[in-house]
Amino acid sequence: MGFWKEMKKGLWDEIPVFRVVLGMCPTLAITTSVENGIGMGLAATFVLLCSNATVSLLRHFIPDKVRIPCFIVIAATFTTIIDLTMNAYAHEVHRNLGIFIPLIVVNCIILGRAEAFASRHPVRLSIADAIGMGLGFTFAICIVGLIRELAGNGSVTLWSATGWQWRVPAAYQPTLIMVLAPGGFITLGCLLALMNRIEWHRAQRTPGYAYQPRELDCRHCVICKPKTHVSTLS
Amino acid sequence: MKEIVKLIVVLTLISAVAGLLLAFTNNRTAGPIAQARKAEVLRALTDVLPPFDNQPNETVFSVDENGQHWTFFIARQNGSFAGAAVESVSMKGYGGLIKIMIGINPDNSLRRFKVLEQQETPGLGSKITEAVFRSQFENRSFIPDTWRLKKDGGEIEAITGATISSRAVTEAIRTAADVYARHADEIRRTGLPATP
Repeated sequence: MGFWKEMKKGLWDEIPVFRVVLGMCPTLAITTSVENGIGMGLAATFVLLCSNATVSLLRHFIPDKVRIPCFIVIAATFTTIIDLTMNAYAHEVHRNLGIFIPLIVVNCIILGRAEAFASRHPVRLSIADAIGMGLGFTFAICIVGLIRELAGNGSVTLWSATGWQWRVPAAYQPTLIMVLAPGGFITLGCLLALMNRIEWHRAQRTPGYAYQPRELDCRHCVICKPKTHVSTLS
Repeated sequence: MKEIVKLIVVLTLISAVAGLLLAFTNNRTAGPIAQARKAEVLRALTDVLPPFDNQPNETVFSVDENGQHWTFFIARQNGSFAGAAVESVSMKGYGGLIKIMIGINPDNSLRRFKVLEQQETPGLGSKITEAVFRSQFENRSFIPDTWRLKKDGGEIEAITGATISSRAVTEAIRTAADVYARHADEIRRTGLPATP
């Protein structure tokens, strides 16, 4: 199990939003612009990185029975740290993301990775996992943000403080619904369908690989499995 | 029994370390956060006020009226009154709270206003921040009855599809201007050396 392998899986095979379908709340709520996606994604990546490293470091020290409260305390600490830091040094972004920064703590990707990966693997691999998952999450919400902002607002904003914004010609009448809540569901649904389609094609081209319907897939269940090898939790 | 002690000790230790880390971060960021907030207010003031050479965020006049707390920021140029700004809040926006900063000229007309916070529908209510709507108020002299939407008997054109947002902003501005008009003399005198 190499560093790269653990990192790469978060970018495609187990990309949080599209494959594992975790972190839906921030995905639907803040992806009205690319900028929000970048801010939220990087903040979540930072928290994920710190919490994965800490959980992995303390994995022999934390008793099983209190592991969930411990994970939550760890995630909450790092979330508050980034909340305060962003408020101090990136005030504009902090205003835009508003309530969603404190809510990183309940983002199930953080807890999911702590429980399913970091508490069972050494620090090096946990860091790789956090980087992969974090960047995968950032990438995914930026894609959703790009589609919604372009269609719903006729612009692409990378960072408004430095003026990195591109607008489509004024003749385009923005489709408002795309930046409202329904637009989030529509975009996400289409992207999930597209993702399944791509996977299906890939599976068909791989000889000897029988495509398993996702609902019969045991990878997402931890009930009958021992603690040793479970790399995905949903 | 032994197990319970271990659980308690571990959880306490982790929480204590977390608490220490948070105290440290809070200590380090409190200053920059306060500064960023101040800079934000000053930026809004510079946007809505005529040119000034004093510190309007430090020359303030406060009054409680209409169940709200009003803080007027007073601008001065070469010692004489150059204008005032005031923050006004309306809870009647389509998405709840709307917070605006209003700049008032020395001749009691409205200079400009800026929306500080709003959660209106993007593309409809959010147009209260755009020049087409804003410019209606610019340099308009204060006659309370005309500062209403046309459908409420005033002279302000509402944004199509966003009557509620337009009404909330108009009302917030009218209330603030009203309070200003009642205290104009005191506001103009604020910050001047007391005359015997």
